[in-house]
Amino acid sequence: MTWLIWRQHRTEVCVLGLLVGVFGIALLVLGTQAHDLFPGGPARCAGEARLDEACVASFRRLDDEYGFVENLLAAFYLMPVVIGAFLGAPLLARELEDGTWQLAWTQAVPRTRWLAAKLAALAGVTAALIGTFTAVLTWFRRPFDVWEGRFQYDAFDLQGLVPVAYALFAFGIATAAGAVLRRSLPAFGVAFGAFLAARMAVGLLARPAYATPLTSVEPVPAGGSEDRAGHRPGVADWTIDHGYADAAGRRLTSSEYLELEAAADRAGTNLNQFLHARGVQQVEVYHPADRFWAFQIVEAALFATVAAVAIGVVVWRVRRRVV
Amino acid sequence: MTTGEFALRTDGVGKRYRKGWALRDCTLALPAGGVIALVGPNGAGKTTLLRLVVGLLAPSTGTVEVLGHDVTASTSRTLARIGFLAQDHPLYKRFTVAEMLRFGRACNLRFDQGLAEHRLAKLGIPLDRRTGTLSGGQQAQVALALALAKRPDLLVLDEPVASLDPLARHEFMQVLMGAVAEGDVTVLFSSHVVHELERVCDHLVVLDNGRVTLTGDIDTLLTEHRLLVGPRTATGPERSGAVVETVHSERHTTLLVRDGALPVAPGWQARPVALEDLVLAYLRRPGVDVTAVGAA
Repeated sequence: MTWLIWRQHRTEVCVLGLLVGVFGIALLVLGTQAHDLFPGGPARCAGEARLDEACVASFRRLDDEYGFVENLLAAFYLMPVVIGAFLGAPLLARELEDGTWQLAWTQAVPRTRWLAAKLAALAGVTAALIGTFTAVLTWFRRPFDVWEGRFQYDAFDLQGLVPVAYALFAFGIATAAGAVLRRSLPAFGVAFGAFLAARMAVGLLARPAYATPLTSVEPVPAGGSEDRAGHRPGVADWTIDHGYADAAGRRLTSSEYLELEAAADRAGTNLNQFLHARGVQQVEVYHPADRFWAFQIVEAALFATVAAVAIGVVVWRVRRRVV
Repeated sequence: MTTGEFALRTDGVGKRYRKGWALRDCTLALPAGGVIALVGPNGAGKTTLLRLVVGLLAPSTGTVEVLGHDVTASTSRTLARIGFLAQDHPLYKRFTVAEMLRFGRACNLRFDQGLAEHRLAKLGIPLDRRTGTLSGGQQAQVALALALAKRPDLLVLDEPVASLDPLARHEFMQVLMGAVAEGDVTVLFSSHVVHELERVCDHLVVLDNGRVTLTGDIDTLLTEHRLLVGPRTATGPERSGAVVETVHSERHTTLLVRDGALPVAPGWQARPVALEDLVLAYLRRPGVDVTAVGAA
């Protein structure tokens, strides 16, 4: 069976391997140069307390010289779906398209074993490819993460466990769509659409609610943002909402805030001083940075569960001979 | 294989797709050994029946027993004893012929690679060619060699020659019949062409509109049936229960009857019937349940 699976899927595996290899090596090369900007390693500059002159200089150079690469990383949002759907879509669809399912399932290997071997092998390849790529990408982003934290969308979605779960999700949906639609290309399209829809819905709606966010309420500092020492949340935390409250702690609507702004304008005073004098407080709703792994686990579990359900549907269909 | 064992037994088998019944109430008992033809028009349910026989589909009703085992279980052991050649003989088009043989070896404990290579060499089919580049006839031969290399006890073929040109068709049947002559294999194949069946087959199953309308040993069927030709009449001899078909010409009436060899009424002549005419008469017979829909 190993030989057969390799023979049938080697084209996809090789193309994806090449893709991961090329981008992985590019990231390794650029990453080595970026890491070299930090003589003691980027971890030395972690935390505002340890942010000395040298670190600030390093971060500035990092942003100047490699900031564009960081922006390009957004393209790798699609890496999990490319890998997962490319391997999953043809698994059953190609056999059904070409009629070879009738050949494959009338040999002495029962179809459930055939299916189990294929699913295990190709899901394994999916996880290995995206896992390798994610490891490289996580390493590449380390200096950026020290500076910006890893809770923002451009970091959280590319690191840790979630890319592997996204890829398995795409694999499962693509395989199931292939079993139902009986054609590879539409199955790939369905997986792509499902991936985009699920990622957006989960990222924007579900993720902020994985845990109860913390709220910090502090008076607006008179001197503006410069003297916000010790003020939470920091850059590494994930701020999901911010606004203003009056002295009693009641949240101001945006029109109320705009009125205050206009009043400060009319009075000709500095806005911060104006707000400070009226006891207006800054409100920030956020998830602290140390929730990163908890959030990763929740989101990975969410996508992995859907993947498992999709695979379950495939197994059920094949066992019951619906296809 | 002991004589009297059944290669295939179905009991009340039906298969319903979303659009309706493709096969209903199919009860068959086909003996092991020899060649069985499954005949019927397109959409009669032949493919459905064959897929049920090899375990590719599960029946909606009834049971299918192949070589004494319930095929729905699809155990390795049962699958190993069945060879199947699907319609249009699908192969992995990007595999070379040699890789197709390796596929057979990888997926079967019992696989006679030497036999397959020998057959293909005799036909002049090179092992290093991709199957997609072979002619239709050669692809059919590769698929047949693959099925035969399993040394199956039951070989099932779905319209094996339908897509082949006359020459390839002849060559294919020759190889198939050669294999039958060599070993103990029971062959079940479907066809919508009735022509030439008599020469090749021992047993016949006629399927129409999802139902079995005739089944039996061909020699027996030909002995039981005969044509009676007599003066044109509205009623015919008093045997209407046994009359399969009545054809009137200007002056004569021809009856196809299934009456064994009862004495012929005065004024009537008995003639043997050709297999092709017999099958066509059964396919023309009205009154078959119309709720069955074809799904080929």
